[in-house]
Amino acid sequence: MISMIRKEIEAYFTTPFGFVFMGIFLLLAGLTFTVSNLLGGNGDLLGMFGLLANISFMTFPILTMRQYSEERKAGTEHLLLSSRLSVLDIVLGKYIAALVVFLLTLTLTFAYPIILMIFGDPNIGGLLASYVGFFLFGSAMIAVCSFIASFTENQVIAAIASFGLLFLLVMLSSFSKSVEVPVLKQILSALAISARYDEFIRGVFRPGPVCYYICYSAVFMFLTVTNIKRRQLA
Amino acid sequence: MITVSNLTKYYGNKLGVEDVSFHIEKGEIVGMLGPNGAGKSTIMRMLAGYMTPTSGKIIINGVDAVADPAEAARHIGYLPELPPLYMEMSVERYLKFLAEIRRVPREKHASHIEEAMELAHVMEVRKRLIRNLSKGYRQRVGIAQALIGRPEILIFDEPTVGLDPRQIAEVRALIERLHRNHTILLSSHILSEIRMTCDRVLIINQGKLLCDDSFTRLAEDSIQRYSVQLKCDMERAKSALLSIAGVTGVESADASLVGVSQLYVTITPDGGTLDRLASALAAAGIPLYELKRTTKTLEEVFLSIISNPVPQRLPTQEEAV
Repeated sequence: MISMIRKEIEAYFTTPFGFVFMGIFLLLAGLTFTVSNLLGGNGDLLGMFGLLANISFMTFPILTMRQYSEERKAGTEHLLLSSRLSVLDIVLGKYIAALVVFLLTLTLTFAYPIILMIFGDPNIGGLLASYVGFFLFGSAMIAVCSFIASFTENQVIAAIASFGLLFLLVMLSSFSKSVEVPVLKQILSALAISARYDEFIRGVFRPGPVCYYICYSAVFMFLTVTNIKRRQLA
Repeated sequence: MITVSNLTKYYGNKLGVEDVSFHIEKGEIVGMLGPNGAGKSTIMRMLAGYMTPTSGKIIINGVDAVADPAEAARHIGYLPELPPLYMEMSVERYLKFLAEIRRVPREKHASHIEEAMELAHVMEVRKRLIRNLSKGYRQRVGIAQALIGRPEILIFDEPTVGLDPRQIAEVRALIERLHRNHTILLSSHILSEIRMTCDRVLIINQGKLLCDDSFTRLAEDSIQRYSVQLKCDMERAKSALLSIAGVTGVESADASLVGVSQLYVTITPDGGTLDRLASALAAAGIPLYELKRTTKTLEEVFLSIISNPVPQRLPTQEEAV
């Protein structure tokens, strides 16, 4: 799986996808930091991550749109499937590589807390919770996008469908509040990807939301593996 | 080395391959011939473990490829019609990645990669990105990837398609070099391609195996045809020839000399027809100027086999003995 991760990370930076993701993400992070902290005069990153969570779903499809489509189009998917790698190795390898690029991008935003520390006295624990929370939130979004990408050999369709589904999942937290049917409300609330994120941006770090995002990612990884196996047997 | 029994593949309700059986011995080089869409690639994908058959059995080097496709795949190097390449990688990096995912022991990576690059003649482009290579080189890199892991069986799907004549000759020479140490199955829709490289041919059409035989026998065992020149008019020549037992067809040739009729006679290969033909013509007082065996071109044989809607199978060499 290590070789799969390495190959995927290389692919992000030998093609424009890694740079485009990093560029757009950092641009959005810079804008939200400017609006929330520099212009708003806030001493923590609550506002920045709150805003970023609502708009970053636009960036994750860039990271995953070529994951499976390119392999299918070039016929290299079969090369992987007939190798000694298991489908889980392939799916996890691609997922971890995307996480590494995401994490690398996120570490570049450490410049903002440093700025805050120079000019103020932010709560370090709260900052850390915001970062961990945002990483878990992003990981779940990447898992959703990977699942969508495993369906098509067209990058554009993969990106648009991922964007649409993420938008729906983000909006579900608002929808679920207005639904009165108890079972449906619970289902929608469980699927609402941003519902449990608020705790992190408030600086609260509880195991519940951590487990929620890890399970969210695991479910979509499982669905991706199942989808690829289904196609392999077709 | 490869045994395929009653292999069938359905795509939904559509039949892709129907009840195909054949056997390939170690060291053989076998060509799979058929028009586009005949089912050649489907059979090859199933052999390489890229696709699961609907029913039937595939044994690769003693391993059941349907039950354990991963283990069977270790014995096979497969080049699909479109070489599976990572365009953003250099040739060397690509082959190294394949050595890693095929679990070639780390200490053997360098030797496997060097050997594959030397055999496929891609050593001079080892540092170049695959996206910058010509189609001929990409094909050779595709062949080099099939050699990583040193498989004993090589399966090449249309290895020369889309190449220019010089590149075709190079790939053909490469296949001949590989034949020294490998069992090879390759497919093409071009007969001459298969004839130049292979010992044996499997003719596939509409998902069915129509013929499994050597080229010599394919030409010889099919209908026997003779060119005949007789000194008489065409009508008399035709009626005289058709009255002979064993003559199954007579057709006039395009060019005939004045007073001499030239015809093509088709006979059943029972051994006595030629004797009867000579005696009958002598008895009828028709001078025989020429009697020459003409072999049907392989193209004609191929077309006659694939245009026959009833599946036919020529006897194998063992059966004929």
